[in-house]
Amino acid sequence: MMRQGFSQLLKKDFRLMLSGRFFLLALASLVLYSCYIHFVYAKVDQVIYPVYLFDPQGMLDTQSNLDSQDNSGSQGNFGSQDNSGSQGASDSQGNFGSQGNSGSQGRTDAPCDVNSRSNCNSRSSQTARSDYITEVDSREALEAACEDRYSVGIDLSSGTPEFYLLSSGIRTADNYRAIWAQAVLAGNLAGQAEVIGTNSREMKNRREITAEFLFFELSAVGFLGLASLLFKEKQMGVIRVHGILPVNRTMFILSKLSLFLVSDLVFASLLTLINLGPGQGAAVLPAVLLQTGILSLIMALTGFFCAVRLPDFKQFSLLYLILAVFITTPVFLAGQTGLSGGWIDYHPMYHLFKAMKGACFLTPNTQWPYYAACLGTILLLFLLAHRTLTRELAREG
Amino acid sequence: MIEVKDLTFSYGKDKEALHGLSFTVADGEIFGFLGPNGSGKSTTQKILTGILKRYGGSVTLFGKDLKNAHTQEFFRNIGVLFEFPYLYANLSALDNLRYFASFYPKEQLRDPEELLDELEFKRDFLRKPVSSYSKGMRQRVSMARALISNPRLLFLDEPTSGMDPTGAVLFRSIIEKERQKGTTIFITTHNMFDADLLCDRVALLSNGNIAALDTPRNLKEQNSSRSIAVSYLHQGRRREATITAPELKNGFPFAYDEIVSIHSQEPTLEDIFIQYTGRRLS
Repeated sequence: MMRQGFSQLLKKDFRLMLSGRFFLLALASLVLYSCYIHFVYAKVDQVIYPVYLFDPQGMLDTQSNLDSQDNSGSQGNFGSQDNSGSQGASDSQGNFGSQGNSGSQGRTDAPCDVNSRSNCNSRSSQTARSDYITEVDSREALEAACEDRYSVGIDLSSGTPEFYLLSSGIRTADNYRAIWAQAVLAGNLAGQAEVIGTNSREMKNRREITAEFLFFELSAVGFLGLASLLFKEKQMGVIRVHGILPVNRTMFILSKLSLFLVSDLVFASLLTLINLGPGQGAAVLPAVLLQTGILSLIMALTGFFCAVRLPDFKQFSLLYLILAVFITTPVFLAGQTGLSGGWIDYHPMYHLFKAMKGACFLTPNTQWPYYAACLGTILLLFLLAHRTLTRELAREG
Repeated sequence: MIEVKDLTFSYGKDKEALHGLSFTVADGEIFGFLGPNGSGKSTTQKILTGILKRYGGSVTLFGKDLKNAHTQEFFRNIGVLFEFPYLYANLSALDNLRYFASFYPKEQLRDPEELLDELEFKRDFLRKPVSSYSKGMRQRVSMARALISNPRLLFLDEPTSGMDPTGAVLFRSIIEKERQKGTTIFITTHNMFDADLLCDRVALLSNGNIAALDTPRNLKEQNSSRSIAVSYLHQGRRREATITAPELKNGFPFAYDEIVSIHSQEPTLEDIFIQYTGRRLS
């Protein structure tokens, strides 16, 4: 009888999902994401930072001149400009201060090397002009070329290399730009990079974006999908009917969870296999499915709790917005940009995000405290959902 | 069937909804709970149907204390009609009934199509989604849902609400049939007409207290002035007279040429409710 009741609940929830076009939306997401990964992201490669040189005296070609600079130990200057009027700070490690985006120009002098000052002065043996350098004929042209906040300029008009760049807004990226310009100037371009792992650039891109799509899709759909199903039942009032039926309330929750879990697992499997290929996809699939299961249950239970607790969909939408802003956005920013800091380690969703990424890169999270915390969260959310459902059944209608 | 002693319930501090209700409902009886909105009708029904817990006093159903009776077996023996027709709008009447019936043992169930026929449900709509039904049709399906498991105890909340007069008559006849089968029926309503026609006994509820409890006839008789109003013609003029029932023993105590109408001055249940509680039912 109990088993039959559960299968009936599953059947009913499945029909509700069908009528809500849930599977159609999931399929559309799968196609859209896969197309984007295949045709766009897998081929994405970062364009090398263009380097512009203003060298009216032809000093770059004069070995002795640069040698003399080496001997004097003079430092190159970073003319990193912003529009805020405040000078970007630089510390003793050669890091750039972040620059603002508006206002008058400023300038920062800084040691030219991030880790080893000798890099700046090590041009002594390099005389060949690098292919990466584009020469300009005036300071104005140099500044104009760097207006894209991506290019880096080198001004040798004073005899001392002065680096000119407009801040991109990301401190780390600015540092990379400066380091690249130094390397181009010094000619140290070969044999510097250490290759980590065995992924090709394309496979690295595929793993990266698959993990990110999985995380954000499961977070959003897990939360919204179950909640929208429940809101439908709330609006129809049928949740209250279940309060007087010989059916266990735990089963009422479990049937919905099971369907969304299975649906998420199928979605994750397909997205992984389609975008990483059968071989690489199958290799990461167990770890990906484990993380999918965890994320799916947590988000579905959160959605269940919120949908039962909140009286109408407007309030729910507002809460969804807040969750998106305060829960997933910091994770997105930490994952996609240079925005970081110790605070992100205290963000629970960041650990789920890292675990998903680790799973896609064949480095799954193996720390038991993580799994213990996930299990505890799932149990706690389940109890909360059960309690809220019981209250809703008794609510004055 | 139902025995309630000193039932109290509070929704929070200073929000006491029931103040020590006591009543019994016999097997096969139709018991009416009459009261305006907020009087405690729904709270009482929610307690009796096992939805609300943490009440004070004692409630016995099917000979068992309700606090220990929230089992699957308890829910198999009750049927509930809510005031509003709560149904899956994307499913048809038949699919709704099959779904809700699937939680009960097969041997207990009635045939959904036969039941809908009995409720004069239009056959053309059997397989159409509930979203295309009128309110009366939805209420018919809801009634079928409450009856499909052949419950021993039936709770009806405003059973004829939203029904046209024909539908209301049909529902009353269905309820009467259920009584004849031996089903105990607990009706909560503020429709005194339904209560008067259907109930063996009624309890008049006001602010969480039972103000009166008796058969509708007794309540009316006890509170009746036992008078009748007569309208008659005498010497070409229409006249009115109010006389008491004993005065009729020897015929009308006035001269007349023609009696136009005679009306009993018996109070309605609503009159009695106002008399006991000082409030109207709706």
